[in-house]
Amino acid sequence: MSLILQCLLDSVLLGGLYSLMAVGLSLGFGITRIINFAYGEFIMLGAYGAFFCSTLMGIDPLLSLPLVAAGVALIAAIIFQLCLGRALRAAPINQILLLFGVGLVLQNVAAILWTGDARSVTTSYSLSGEQVGDITISDGRVVAFLLAVLLIAILLMWLHRTELGRATRAVAQNRQAAVLMGINVTFIYLLSFALNAALGAATGAISSFLLTITPFMGFHMLVKSFAIVVLGGLGSIAGTLAGAFVLAFAETVVAYYVPEGIGWAEGVAFVVLLLVLIVRPQGILGQSEGVA
Amino acid sequence: MRSGSVGVGRSLAALAGMVLLGGILSVAARADDTVRIGAPLELSGRFVTYGAQTKRGIEMAVDTFGGSVNGKKIEVLFRDVQSNNQDAVTAFIDLASQQKIDFMIGPVASGIVAATVPAWRQSKPLWIVPGSSSTQLEDGMKGENLFFHTYPWAYNYHDGTAEALAQVVGAGKKVAIIYSDGGYGREQLPWAKEFYTKAGFNIVATELVREGAADLNPVLQRLRQLKPDVLVGIVQTIDGIQLAKQVQVAKLNIPFLVGTAYPQLAEWSGALGPEAADGWIGATTYLPGMDRPADPTHPKLFPAMHDWEAAFRARYNRDPEFLDVTSYTSTMLLLLAIDEAASTDKEKVAAKLASLDVKTMLGSSKFAPTPGGAMHQAFGQMVVFQRQGNKFVIAFPADAADGKLIPRK
Repeated sequence: MSLILQCLLDSVLLGGLYSLMAVGLSLGFGITRIINFAYGEFIMLGAYGAFFCSTLMGIDPLLSLPLVAAGVALIAAIIFQLCLGRALRAAPINQILLLFGVGLVLQNVAAILWTGDARSVTTSYSLSGEQVGDITISDGRVVAFLLAVLLIAILLMWLHRTELGRATRAVAQNRQAAVLMGINVTFIYLLSFALNAALGAATGAISSFLLTITPFMGFHMLVKSFAIVVLGGLGSIAGTLAGAFVLAFAETVVAYYVPEGIGWAEGVAFVVLLLVLIVRPQGILGQSEGVA
Repeated sequence: MRSGSVGVGRSLAALAGMVLLGGILSVAARADDTVRIGAPLELSGRFVTYGAQTKRGIEMAVDTFGGSVNGKKIEVLFRDVQSNNQDAVTAFIDLASQQKIDFMIGPVASGIVAATVPAWRQSKPLWIVPGSSSTQLEDGMKGENLFFHTYPWAYNYHDGTAEALAQVVGAGKKVAIIYSDGGYGREQLPWAKEFYTKAGFNIVATELVREGAADLNPVLQRLRQLKPDVLVGIVQTIDGIQLAKQVQVAKLNIPFLVGTAYPQLAEWSGALGPEAADGWIGATTYLPGMDRPADPTHPKLFPAMHDWEAAFRARYNRDPEFLDVTSYTSTMLLLLAIDEAASTDKEKVAAKLASLDVKTMLGSSKFAPTPGGAMHQAFGQMVVFQRQGNKFVIAFPADAADGKLIPRK
């Protein structure tokens, strides 16, 4: 019984982290219709930002998160102005290759600047846990979950309650109509790309005390985020959240109950993805257009 | 007009021929006055730490040697294999078969080295591998006279550790093993099972984990129910960080936690913090601060350990790791062999290298055949250590021991 409860708890906590990780990618795609293949590197930059804030200035990742997210958003805005903004009308494959190239450059710059050494942030909560009977509750993962919920709530409020957020959704729903209504579409694209990077950086800052930081950590997270976004339905934030929890639950159950399950967990999760896409090609809550 | 164009064509052909000839002659001249060493290494990707250490060691050895051997400039051609099998094969073929380089050092990660073996067979340069503990490599290179291995094999990690633990905890205790799904974990698992069983332990679980897994808690929670006395984590460094973190969070109360090479690494302990790293046991050929004297014949090339570490810190502004030392020593042995053979003929250099017997920072350089059939193996002797507070305590072998293994608090 305790193993079942532990499994459920781990699924929920992992789902929270996956949600935050994928929601930035989903938002970016929903608006610009460009899959940001440099997204993993924004996560990596966020993780390094939090690491250096912690080691050099003694700032806890929870406090440095806004600063790190803003810094990475600025980098993303510069990348947009220099590269992506010029390729908005290019063929999708060109945009993907461009962003993939940007990701490789960021990855290798990080390797040159900070070496390939594995790092991690140690905080009072990252290595502590509570024991309730036979159930272990990781303080770090609870903190990460709560932070993910908070950030996603802020994002949704921004999208639904602010003028700029509504303009962003309008661009996602109908670009031509948004232009006719006087919305500066290029600015919204830039904003959504920067926001996408900021969410990636926030994921990185949270990962900095949960996972191991290396210049190459981003690619794996990009693949996982992409799978979640496809599972939930491209461009749907609600679908992304559902996809994140479905994937987290599938992985955790397999890891707990299948012999040598951690080795199989990711494979089985992708089988779930395949099955969902066969039954419902648009994803769990996928729509043809727009940000939900 | 027509004859003019023919004339221009002939001139261009002659020019092209001269350029080609010049190129060939310059390559020949360069080959004649340089000793070229190929170094296909993991300079990016997930094994970049290993590649970076190896590169540092090679560069320091070449500079310490003076940059030339037998009056010829030493040129090391580094290639980044990107921690990728296909890129490693391409780089190895380029260096060994296309550029005809007779001396190769690296790569080091087990899977990457295994992938390059067929490429090595194409031209068979003298090949020093300062990494890879895979016994499949040992088996695959059986009887090969130009292959030199300067790193322990998989079984070297577990024989001493199992014996040292058995002396402390006694026979009949429970061991759980976590191993990664890559070649590293799968390769070592049978050896760990064999040696721990032989030492009198009862193996109660062998749990597979995926390389790079973000959450190991499912495995740890299953192990909690088995209450093992010893947990052995056969994973690479990055996974070793995640494992140690989650063991700490889960409060498993396992008295003895055993890793492979990673518990000694500053990179590993730095990512964990002192509390989570404390008490971990590992096996290695090199520990910072080990007391090893200089070689009496070549004290500049193989200085006392403390002197070498000081020189390394002055050069790189960081502490050396085990592959820094291993690759320095391996490169230095190769250069010394070329020097003493007074030749760049790979067969003559191999013969000289096999016969060298100098005192290095890793112990005697004497190469010897292995039980698995590899012809030339050096530095397979390991010490078993435990992190106790801020220091390493060596617990095995008895003649090197300065303390005992103690249960983790």
